[in-house]
Amino acid sequence: MTIKELYRNRIAIILLLLIPTLFYALIVLTTSDRIIAFKLASISEETFVQVSEESESLIFIGLAVVGLLTSFVALNLMQKNFDVNRRLIICGFHSSEIILSKLIVLVGVIFLIGLYAALMLLLFFSPEYLLGVLLGFVLGGYVYGCYGLLIGSIFKHELEGILFIVLLANIDAGWLQNPNYYAEAQSKIIIRYLPAFHPSQISIISGFTDYSFAVSFILSITYGAVFLIAALIIFGKRTRTKK
Amino acid sequence: MDSKKNILEVEGIQKAYGKNEVLKDISFTMQRGELAGIVGENGAGKSTLLKILVGLLKPNSGRIHLDGTFGYCPQELLVFETLNVQENFLYFANAYGLYSKKDRSLWKENSNYLMKKFKFHQYEEVLVSNLSGGTKQKLNFSLSILHFPDILILDEPYSGFDWETYLNFWDFSKEQKDKGKSLLIVSHFVYDKQKFDKIYKLKNGVLECA
Repeated sequence: MTIKELYRNRIAIILLLLIPTLFYALIVLTTSDRIIAFKLASISEETFVQVSEESESLIFIGLAVVGLLTSFVALNLMQKNFDVNRRLIICGFHSSEIILSKLIVLVGVIFLIGLYAALMLLLFFSPEYLLGVLLGFVLGGYVYGCYGLLIGSIFKHELEGILFIVLLANIDAGWLQNPNYYAEAQSKIIIRYLPAFHPSQISIISGFTDYSFAVSFILSITYGAVFLIAALIIFGKRTRTKK
Repeated sequence: MDSKKNILEVEGIQKAYGKNEVLKDISFTMQRGELAGIVGENGAGKSTLLKILVGLLKPNSGRIHLDGTFGYCPQELLVFETLNVQENFLYFANAYGLYSKKDRSLWKENSNYLMKKFKFHQYEEVLVSNLSGGTKQKLNFSLSILHFPDILILDEPYSGFDWETYLNFWDFSKEQKDKGKSLLIVSHFVYDKQKFDKIYKLKNGVLECA
């Protein structure tokens, strides 16, 4: 039923596909193809790569847009029909069944947007390892999707939720995780602990090198799991019947 | 008091929001096959009491014993607006556990009965967001009775009903009452007082016989 509800929101589906396209188009139109050098932060402080600025920006913005869109979808899934879902719970559903249905939809959305954003990259350049870039996008969607679920489980009203997502996702996925910025950043430790760090490292590493990203993979999964568990606990508490 | 016949026993319910005491030592019982009403002005605490009875709110103190299944129709419209009528029926039937293989034939029978009784057939495939306010309210009510519970707890159920639906509502209520089911109806006003076995008045947090 949750899938049906999302499917019927045609404008939202169009926007989910249009927004990554627009972001990529803006990057292509505004970024030069000069060669830049930057540090692969998750590998070592001495590992530098030299790549086209446009290609690097495309991967960076691809991950940022997947993270932003999935966090908003997750927020909407949690907040929309909250009281109707509570009614379903007093009718007999368990809160875990409700949140599981939302999670299944969210996973589907993450894969679709991630796949679309990764495949679109091929129009502009050939990443070294496309599946790795896709994995980074999907993990970025997963971490920020779980963040959206958490924010949606805490706040009842849309505006607070949107502001909290914009606050973190814009600064983190949309700015600080740009390897270009990171190379010159003063307090790198802060950037390394933000949610999009490891997924973006996976995409960047896979886009231009054949280095291993195993550590970033495990840490991405862990980061998302922490958000998810917190969301499950809060949603369970808010929807629990008082008998 | 014959507790074996009681489907609902409410004892000493107290609820306060900070210093504002909304419900003060509310006690009453309902027997099987009984139709009771609770009236009161806006803000008297009627909806709060019902939310406590169905488990949406926790009282500060008191005890509730419900001996059977219940159906709850909230005052506000709590339905899925982007699903159609049939899909809302199915979603709630699943929640009630009616859509299991074992109960599917019973569910079909119940569903057809309600569709016919409340004239939903013409709206089956219509999205709820496209229905009139009265039809949405009718759906809101119908979702609380899909499983034909032992007691129906209804918060302003017929506001927005047209005359025909209002009559069908009372016809349905009588059928259920005759089958030994109970109904607790909360409203600003109670019309047709003769239809009720008991009417309580909630005023300043105190429940008294009207």
